[in-house]
Amino acid sequence: MKYLIIIITFFYSGSIIAQKDSNSVYKKRVLETIEVDFLSSYYDQEGSNASVTGGIGTEKLSDLTSTIVVSIPMNDDDVLTIDVGFSAYTSASSSNGNPFDVSGASGNGGYDDDDDDDDDGGYDDDDDYSPSAGDVIGSPWVASTGASKSDVWASINVDYSHSSDDRNTLWNADMSFATEYDYSSIGFGGGLTKLFNEKNTTFGVSTKIYIDTWKPIYPTELKAFADENGNLNQGFFNGISIINQNGNVSTSWNPTNYKPIKDKGRNSYSVSFSFSQILSKNAQFSLFLDVVKQQGWLANPLQRVYFGDVDNYYIGNASSIPNYTSPSNTDVFQLADDIERLPSNRLKIPIGFRFNYYINEAVSLRTYYRYYFDDWGLQSNTVSLEIPVKILDKFTLYPSFRFYDQTQADYFAPYDQNLSTSEFYTSDFDLSKFSSNQYGFGVSYTDIFSKAHIWKFGLKSIDFRYNNYQRNTGLSANYTGLGFKFVMD
Amino acid sequence: MIKKSSILIVIISFFISCASVKEYEKVNINDPDMALSEKKCDRFKIAFQVYREGASGANGGKSGGGCGCN
Repeated sequence: MKYLIIIITFFYSGSIIAQKDSNSVYKKRVLETIEVDFLSSYYDQEGSNASVTGGIGTEKLSDLTSTIVVSIPMNDDDVLTIDVGFSAYTSASSSNGNPFDVSGASGNGGYDDDDDDDDDGGYDDDDDYSPSAGDVIGSPWVASTGASKSDVWASINVDYSHSSDDRNTLWNADMSFATEYDYSSIGFGGGLTKLFNEKNTTFGVSTKIYIDTWKPIYPTELKAFADENGNLNQGFFNGISIINQNGNVSTSWNPTNYKPIKDKGRNSYSVSFSFSQILSKNAQFSLFLDVVKQQGWLANPLQRVYFGDVDNYYIGNASSIPNYTSPSNTDVFQLADDIERLPSNRLKIPIGFRFNYYINEAVSLRTYYRYYFDDWGLQSNTVSLEIPVKILDKFTLYPSFRFYDQTQADYFAPYDQNLSTSEFYTSDFDLSKFSSNQYGFGVSYTDIFSKAHIWKFGLKSIDFRYNNYQRNTGLSANYTGLGFKFVMD
Repeated sequence: MIKKSSILIVIISFFISCASVKEYEKVNINDPDMALSEKKCDRFKIAFQVYREGASGANGGKSGGGCGCN
């Protein structure tokens, strides 16, 4: 009897160990080895509705972005992902936060138009400099050399994810930090995904919170107006001729609506729901629903607004006023009536649908539709189609097309058409009614064996993308993206 | 709202009841080009769309916050 108990205990123990071993043998690691992605993009645009200059003026902008994403398997179930990136841009319209900086009203190009107290680069009080209207070369169609002409955005995001042993439950948590000259952001979030029905059905819910802060930069003339308590003969305005619509010198410019912003916070709270279903061996779809609540200063304090119901005033060459809205104007600039003002709350609800179909070994179909609405009166539809075509063993082509349209936000009016009596107003054409077409092409190289090596890392794939974007308001843009994926040996 | 939610639940239940595809039958579904998400190399493309358009979200990308542009 004693021996029988020992034998049973032995086999029972062995059974448990075997089960554990079995689990450890058959449980596939979520991530086999360290993966490193190098991603970069170049974006440039042209247009004639710059929001910094009140909905008229050059929108020329270029942006170079680079990011490295490192995914590290912590064990069989957990993955740590660190994402570090920066984005450097130059913007003609942003430069016109201070359009007078070259030889214009501020004289030395150093007028401090941000909201801090370090006005050491302030107006030119040099007695040797006596600017006149004729000196000013500011124009919404000419980039200035002001500090806001370029900026660098830097960010870091850290994500930790865990999968259950049966791989039917996945949770993740993440934190992020981003900063640029006039803005900083702290974000954190998390999500839970459950797979059912032999992994044919997936439900997911996630949340994200951003706690953001403006370091506001204002249009130079408005900041100076407030700093000088409305005295148009002091500081920035000393020796400057302000002219009216008829080209006559005037001291009547009085942007009374303007006040610096007090609430510099801007918080965003989002909850995202997702559902996906495999329909057959070759087809699957997913549904997405986001509910996004934003609170705080949701306008951009650098963006000017001109009112249609008040007189216009300028600094510069009076003879160019009739051509103000033409790119031929290079030497007169209209003084702002106010910065854009938008409600301190916004509720955004996008609903997305994706359907993918595997046609054959060479061709797949990727489709996407999104309907969006918010409580600013903006609604939009987005449709996109991508058809990956495999050529040779390692190359895939990605022709694509995307159509987008949106209605106008309640507070939008074009250049010089907002009303001073309104509570909210903007001339940002990103909130106007428009439609856009985007044509894209891409090519990917994939080597599942990662033969090419740099140090201990094998090259797994190279992705190239090009997109041309055309908006019916005249804005056009080009986007080029390049990505390299390496896996550690 | 309740009516719409009910319809959505019925539709979802219908799809869940579809004949399930076994793991060994998912070769085509598991093709990287069949993923129900944007590729990593497209993340900046989505970012510029967020900058230039009034709508955002429901695509796995940013839906608001994190920069002064949306």
